[in-house]
Amino acid sequence: MAAADRTADVWGERTPFAGGGDWPARVDSHVEVPESAVERWVPSACVLCSNGCGLDIAVADGRIVGVRGHAHDRVNRGRLGPKGLYGWQANNSPDRLTRPLVRSDGELRETSWDEAMELVVSRSHELLETAGPLAFGFYTSGQLFAEEYYAQTKVARAGLGTPHLDGNTRLCTATAEWALIESFGCDGNPGSYTDIDVCDTLFLVGHNVAETQTVLWMRMLDRLRGPDRPRLVVVDPRPTPAAREADVWLPIRSGTNVALLNAVLHELIANGWVDEEFVRERTVGFPALERTVSQYPPERAAELCGVPAELIRDAARIVGTGERLVSTCLQGVYQSNQATAAAVQLDNVNLLRGMIGKPGCAVFQMNGQPTAENTRETGANGTLPAFRNFANDAHVDELAALWNVEPLTIPRWAPPTHALQIFRFAEEGSIRFLWITATNPAVSLPELRRIRAILSQRRLFVVVSDAFLTETAELADVVLPAALWGEKTGTYTNADRTVHLSEKAVDPPGEARSDFAVFLDYARRMGFSDRDGDPLLAFSTPEQAFEEFKLVTAGRPCDYSGLSYEKLRGSGGVQWPCNAEFPDGCERLYSDHRFPTHAEGCESYGHDLPSGAQNEPDEYRAHDPKGRAVLKAAEYVPSPELPADGYPLLLDTGRTVFHWHTRTKTGRTPELQRAAPEAWVELAPADAERLGVADGDLVAVESARGRIEAPARLTGIREGVVFVPFHYGYWDEPEGGEPNGRARAANELTTTRWDPVSKQPVFKTAAVRVVKVAGGDGAARVPAIASQERTR
Amino acid sequence: MSKVGAALEELHRAEEALADEYVQVGERLAAEHEVWYACRRFGEQCRLHADAIRPFAASHEQPLPPAGIADGGTTTAPFWHKLAEALGRRPESGLLLLDSLRRLYLQAQEVSFHWIVAGQLAQATRDRELLAVVDELHRETLTQIKWLKTQVRQAAPQALVVGSVG
Repeated sequence: MAAADRTADVWGERTPFAGGGDWPARVDSHVEVPESAVERWVPSACVLCSNGCGLDIAVADGRIVGVRGHAHDRVNRGRLGPKGLYGWQANNSPDRLTRPLVRSDGELRETSWDEAMELVVSRSHELLETAGPLAFGFYTSGQLFAEEYYAQTKVARAGLGTPHLDGNTRLCTATAEWALIESFGCDGNPGSYTDIDVCDTLFLVGHNVAETQTVLWMRMLDRLRGPDRPRLVVVDPRPTPAAREADVWLPIRSGTNVALLNAVLHELIANGWVDEEFVRERTVGFPALERTVSQYPPERAAELCGVPAELIRDAARIVGTGERLVSTCLQGVYQSNQATAAAVQLDNVNLLRGMIGKPGCAVFQMNGQPTAENTRETGANGTLPAFRNFANDAHVDELAALWNVEPLTIPRWAPPTHALQIFRFAEEGSIRFLWITATNPAVSLPELRRIRAILSQRRLFVVVSDAFLTETAELADVVLPAALWGEKTGTYTNADRTVHLSEKAVDPPGEARSDFAVFLDYARRMGFSDRDGDPLLAFSTPEQAFEEFKLVTAGRPCDYSGLSYEKLRGSGGVQWPCNAEFPDGCERLYSDHRFPTHAEGCESYGHDLPSGAQNEPDEYRAHDPKGRAVLKAAEYVPSPELPADGYPLLLDTGRTVFHWHTRTKTGRTPELQRAAPEAWVELAPADAERLGVADGDLVAVESARGRIEAPARLTGIREGVVFVPFHYGYWDEPEGGEPNGRARAANELTTTRWDPVSKQPVFKTAAVRVVKVAGGDGAARVPAIASQERTR
Repeated sequence: MSKVGAALEELHRAEEALADEYVQVGERLAAEHEVWYACRRFGEQCRLHADAIRPFAASHEQPLPPAGIADGGTTTAPFWHKLAEALGRRPESGLLLLDSLRRLYLQAQEVSFHWIVAGQLAQATRDRELLAVVDELHRETLTQIKWLKTQVRQAAPQALVVGSVG
């Protein structure tokens, strides 16, 4: 039964434990009927953040009626966060899409699956003949299951043969992927969440973990409240819950992460806090790194980053003298200026300290979404399936052989096209067919006026697969009603490589179908076949697709070959690689300090960090790191858009604990919607005073690209920085769809720019101004967490 | 003046010309966001290269024209920017991009040639300071070329292979 209101008590009761101990179990559940009325519990994992907490779905009368955390799951030991506890209610929402829609005379009208799919297929055939495969683009998600991405990848890369398939993971974890590749040669987080159980030092950079990964924060908090509290250093411009717990909090100026991390590296070297043997034997690139960071003494970084040099020294001392260091970063790095360059410097911190591949020693390039890892593993985002290197002919030929397709079918002339470039090709008109699955670019991409204009073009045929009529679906030519989590079977993998199986608990509403079934149907209708004329998608169930995906991963770092649905059932999560060598999964990568950087195996030959220029294969081979990690240096380069005349403040967009993405699910969950009903604008008191703004006043935020209005909230945020949550679009506004009246989506303001290496959009540094619109009632309706002041 | 000075003047001229080209391409291709940002950065980098050559030219008594504008913009920039956004909605914009990359690539190769010459001269005249500058800055030019290759590989198929559609 429902216990305490977990929107008021987000992290629940503490279960403190000492380093090296087992994290105690604590089972959280929220079920809307008496437990005796629950007919069955179906094993699954949460899909409302990247943590991937194991849970059981409660079913009664053919409906989902609740969830309960798995006590024995390695990720959460029974705990769930507020989104996980309450968010399942969106499945039962009365406004689910239940029938396909097609546009006729400007209006979307209901139709049959046959008619909708025939329309998609006839348009596809016509375009294939006249324009060829490069006129097709696919923009997918971090929310589907591995089997679905795998089917989609095969459709795009081998069926049609287009490089234009990317996930919205480009917005959340592309930098995680590329930072891991640049440093270690391949994607895949080296560490395990259990490293938190044994660490003595936590270094969190731009990672608002308490709100973005509540259960991971519970784990950290239970250590922080335990008898041997790890020391905690937090870098964040906002007084986040983690910042308030920190021993040292660095309220950094947005966009200066590289300068700060270079100063930390400077201090590690200057004070001899370097594992010299590890660096000498197991890394390359130290001399260049040393030369670069020698230019960043704390005093210089203090000026660039706007934090006292003494604080930087304190932070570096903690990071430099800990014996078991866990470092993490997320969107404060990935969606900010110099994303990959900064994320790589965090890798460098752990590499200089030799703190990797050992219990309590890890660097986590965190994920944003529950199945983002699978978008990356299956080749639906950035590289080819199973972390294959598009520029390595042997890798592509091997994939073509596994798929039994003509090797030149799979595009290999350039990296798979990234999301914003796909939209650029659609803008110029060379992409004419865009299929969007389980994501809402009309709210989540930068510079929304431009995105709406692109999606509204008559020459662009837009297909949207979604469970709800999102702002994006409103602009589509065809809308396909999708089954949600709990209504289909498949696997997904979290940020510490833990794979879960999520089994179908209930039927989808009406005629809604899984994306897996839809891709299969599309491939069949399109007549995609392999070289022997057999169907390209030779599977009909998710389990069969999983079995095929296992073959594609065998021998690669993300080796699934030892896994099966049977093995995953009731397992509490298994970490890849899982194969003959690691039959029960592998807790930590690189425990032998051998990294997958060999030219033959690596996922990419890497990039010049400042420009994004790709290294040539022979250039890489000439300096083959051969199993050593790569220390890559980067100079700090200021953001091209800095506060200037007219736009004196820096916009920081981000998340609240109560919502997920564009609120398609969480906005339909009463507890979560009540907790954070509308957008707000977070301001520092000094800035507010200058602007004559009081708490609760209605203010406008304006950039060169757009304008929004929302109530002001004064917090301990860094002066000069304005925070706006990006979750709020228009589907539940009276006018719906586009902002006909008062705009409130943060991405009206953001700029079209991306990191040169990871191609992740830069959401967090845009120049804006704030003006008062009207007096308020004295208190903005914003989540309590955002308004709490620093307590430590 | 000397032949060495003349070679440095050639290098200086080529860097300034490449800087101008980056600035102009950036403005004309403002709808290609990545190209726009990179061209701004590389344009500034070429100006810095040109400035770095000055003291060496001076020591060879080689006069150089006054320094170019360093902010990477021209008076016609807003006009080109608007035009680029309008043209950027036509499929032909891919061809314009390809042609711009071709010209940048050739000019960058010319700059690289002059750096090779400058490096050889530095060795032959035992000019350690020049040698150090050549080492560092030529590497940056080579990275520019690498970036141009990265761009052209993605742009060419899209510009040339996608058929026209009604």
